[in-house]
Amino acid sequence: MANRSMTSHLAGHEAARGETPPDVRFIRVPSIAERKLGADYVAPIRLDPRVLDQMQSTIRTLETKYAEALSAQISMLQLLVEPSAKGDSEARSRLYSLSHDMRGLAGTFGFPLVGRFADSLCRYIENCHEEDWRDGSVLRFHVDAIRDAVDNPGTDPAITMETLNALERLIAATRGNRKMAG
Amino acid sequence: MNGDRAGAHADLFRRLKVLVVEDSGEMQRLLTALLASMGIGHVVVALDGARGLAAFAAECPDLIITDGAMTPMDGFEMTRRIRASDAGQAANPDVPILMISGHAGRENVTHARDQGVTDYLLKPLSAEMLYEAILAAVSRPIHFVETPDYRGPSPRRMLDPRRSES
Repeated sequence: MANRSMTSHLAGHEAARGETPPDVRFIRVPSIAERKLGADYVAPIRLDPRVLDQMQSTIRTLETKYAEALSAQISMLQLLVEPSAKGDSEARSRLYSLSHDMRGLAGTFGFPLVGRFADSLCRYIENCHEEDWRDGSVLRFHVDAIRDAVDNPGTDPAITMETLNALERLIAATRGNRKMAG
Repeated sequence: MNGDRAGAHADLFRRLKVLVVEDSGEMQRLLTALLASMGIGHVVVALDGARGLAAFAAECPDLIITDGAMTPMDGFEMTRRIRASDAGQAANPDVPILMISGHAGRENVTHARDQGVTDYLLKPLSAEMLYEAILAAVSRPIHFVETPDYRGPSPRRMLDPRRSES
């Protein structure tokens, strides 16, 4: 590493401002492309549309398979709400894991609304108290919204936004009630 | 883009070795398929941070793409260990580490930056976002800092997460 290290321009600027502690070194090394193709490598100005087309085609190929998997995952979510409310820790963990996968993947495969509801569900679970789990209603509303987003993809975006807002209000109200009670 | 540049571009991707650290089977399939469609020559997959560290030491990849949340070792801890000065031969200050995460909160992004993550990609992933991030990671000169405890991208820099436009 040392033989291709050099002081960076950044180092000069920060040092000039007196912001660099004495035990900090700034180092610049050639890009990976330069290391592999030589110092005369010139980075492309824009993305190669052919590569982008191939990538998008790959996503489309995987979409059908994902849609089938998603349907099965939503059915599983519906089954997991009840045992989760009854205290089954494995069911809770599985419910979060499935929601987390949906949050990450649904948008990529053409189900952006599923991704948004799953994101809301994940954030709710990440701060879930025992009372929230036992109540189960917020979980159920989320899972129903996810199912509805898949079954009715043409839903007016305004309605979707209102559903998301309503879920947020429900979460806030539930947690507000708990604070007042506790 | 002229023909020569496109050719160099394809040649570069063909020579790249990428380590994917991801515990979700669906996400693994998506990433490996997208990397293959970019023409990336060699893709290695590890299921969590600990296996990622082992694969990193064994394979010496040019680039790491990692999930954030994994068990038993997550992508943050794996990154911290790769950037730690006291990790000896396993330490590496300049390998680009792209973290893909569903957590958009500033505290997550800041935590990732502080561990030494190069770029932070918010889910949902798009083809364009992944392509742009990889190209930026491999085609720009790499700047890093060395302190007694840390060698990696400056933890004082601004790191804004990449978001899909759709």
